Amino acid sequence: MGKSRKKVQIIILLLIVILGGYAITTQVSGSNGKPTEGSKAPNFDLLGLDGKVHTLDEYKGKALVVNFWGTWCEPCVKEMPALQAQYDKWKDKDVVIVGINAGEDKMAVENFVKQVHVSFPVMLDPEKDAIQSYGISPLPTTFFVSPNGKINKIHLGQLDLQTLDQQIEELVNS
Amino acid sequence: MMKEVIAFKNTKCECGHQNPVGTVLCEACGRPLEEQDRESNEVLEMRYDGMARRSQRANPNFIDRIWNFFSSVKIAVYMIILTLLGSMLGTIFPQENTFLNIDPSTYYKETYGTAGWIYYKLGLSHTYESWWFVLLLVMIGASLVICSLDRVLPLYKALTKQRILKHKQFLTRQRVVYQGPVELESKEWVEQASVHIKKRGYRVHTLDNALLAEKYRFSRWGPYVIHIGLIIFLLAVLARGLPGLHMDQHVAFPEGEIKHIPNTSYYLKNEKFTVEYYSEQDLPKEFQGKNKVLPKLFKTQATLYECTANCNDPSKQPTLKAVDHHNIEVNDPMDYKGLKAYQFDYDLTPVLRSVKPSLVDKKTGKDYGTFQLKIKDPERNYKVGPYSLELKEKYNDFGLDENGQPVTKTPNPNAPAFLFLIKGPNLPAEGVHYFYFPKQVDKERFQQDAINAKMNGGSVPLELDVKGMGNVDLSMSTTYLNIRVDKAMPFVWVGAAIVMLGLVLGFYWQHRRIWLRIDDGNLTLGAHTNKNWFGIRREIAAILRKMNLEVDEKSLDNGGNHS
Repeated sequence: MGKSRKKVQIIILLLIVILGGYAITTQVSGSNGKPTEGSKAPNFDLLGLDGKVHTLDEYKGKALVVNFWGTWCEPCVKEMPALQAQYDKWKDKDVVIVGINAGEDKMAVENFVKQVHVSFPVMLDPEKDAIQSYGISPLPTTFFVSPNGKINKIHLGQLDLQTLDQQIEELVNS
Repeated sequence: MMKEVIAFKNTKCECGHQNPVGTVLCEACGRPLEEQDRESNEVLEMRYDGMARRSQRANPNFIDRIWNFFSSVKIAVYMIILTLLGSMLGTIFPQENTFLNIDPSTYYKETYGTAGWIYYKLGLSHTYESWWFVLLLVMIGASLVICSLDRVLPLYKALTKQRILKHKQFLTRQRVVYQGPVELESKEWVEQASVHIKKRGYRVHTLDNALLAEKYRFSRWGPYVIHIGLIIFLLAVLARGLPGLHMDQHVAFPEGEIKHIPNTSYYLKNEKFTVEYYSEQDLPKEFQGKNKVLPKLFKTQATLYECTANCNDPSKQPTLKAVDHHNIEVNDPMDYKGLKAYQFDYDLTPVLRSVKPSLVDKKTGKDYGTFQLKIKDPERNYKVGPYSLELKEKYNDFGLDENGQPVTKTPNPNAPAFLFLIKGPNLPAEGVHYFYFPKQVDKERFQQDAINAKMNGGSVPLELDVKGMGNVDLSMSTTYLNIRVDKAMPFVWVGAAIVMLGLVLGFYWQHRRIWLRIDDGNLTLGAHTNKNWFGIRREIAAILRKMNLEVDEKSLDNGGNHS
């Protein structure tokens, strides 16, 4: 009796700790479900300008820079050359830069990409699904995702060449 | 009590029963175990029938101490009071989740001043999601489970192995007591009495000169049933955090469009949105003549579609199947398999969806034909009569940047503009560039003709013209629906129902017990109930009357704290 009673006590206390821990972590970290630095990058399922569907899993094992942008957003347009330059610099070193357009027409995005000579993968988000799951409010917003799928850094606003280079460097070394 | 636990008291009763540490009344015969208690004449403490609670142990170790903490009713009451106070803090200012689009870091300061800023900084703007509040709830849950286990098992044991013959002192120190001589032989008296007691709905057990009668024992389980209900309730609320069990989002549905509901396999079409206003006469006196416009009813005729194929492949069109239709009004949501769509808001700004312009010769007025131009995701190439039109650029909200280059200022189709390259007869071989503004206001504001003349070094012989409103497709309004899924809700109801059952058990029945023994022609009767002492005294007086013992109800009262 004594032994089984102790076992029951321990099992019940453990269950309470597990359930309680779960409740607290989901409530506290799950503030609006927005990803934060250190949390796992949400998956996406988007059509690229290349006509293929791209997901986050595709870039597993690579350092990933996800840039959310729109053609109407001036700072987004201004940071495009920096992103392109970094894409060229790092593309052989397992670093991928992808741009996710915030809900514009394919044509507008295609024209824009041609005009500013962007060659990194650009994806369309017509339903703004990724915008929602990444909790984007101002544009541009850039997520630096380490090879294990965790968000290393979230940058709000325009990026210049130097900070971008630093961030990628940090990402690769993380 | 603790002293006694620590002092390793001999807990063996004179009847030979070995009691666990912390026992107040012998588990077998009911004799008080403490000497001091035995000398007293006060009414016995009958809580848990004098059994030791599970948490009362001689040598509490670390786990026992945690167990004891949660098993304490005092601690539980403090936790409930703290939770109440915490909940009150959350009602001072509106919580963050009651707003759709605010930036809480500035909103509270701007709206409520310094107090609001402190409120936000303390994290009280999301009180009910804060770690300390959830921790309190978890601790109350733990307390519910442990308190119940700590008490229900000893109580269960005490009530299932009751001895019929109790110690005399156990009987004389009950709150309801009768002592007096009987005329009949003891066994015969007990037998006759048992018949009368049975008639009152008691289950009667006799043993020679002693009797135990008991009824409505189940009401003792009421509080524990309430606890089980509350635990189910808490677990259900907790389960809402699991993916897929809970969703609460606001989605805009422009009239006439099928739109995907994020994170589901459903699509919803707003077939038609209507709003009715109160007429001037229907308005209350205070509002009349003040140009107040108050909506009386707003309604969305909605069709729900379920995606059956190509759902998660953005390169393909999903296959949709209509599954439900409902006229959604305030307080009358669409409900399909737990997915609920509530009317939330509306916007009556018309949105241009597509136009059907004609290609017209400016001089002769000859109409070469029409084509459908969608504002969102337009086709790239069109063929009209002998002419081919290639769409080169599209601007949702036309404007010029600092270099005079055309740009789109916002992603919203406020001032859509299209740049075509037109080729065909009587045009230069490389074609002409033609800017087209579907909205008349934009056409004039941006001087469409002047731009086109400038681009081509002279006036263009053709023009695009929408002939009449019949060729314009507008979405007249947008309805905002609150999409909700709450699959944990049935469990919340089940929990609440169990709580109610427990309350009924505990409130409407009382556990009544009568013990009696006859020693040398003298009857000693003791009775116990958890409430309604008046009722049990009356019952016993009636039973004794049947046995030819005239007793005044009040004289049965042995004092003590009546509840």
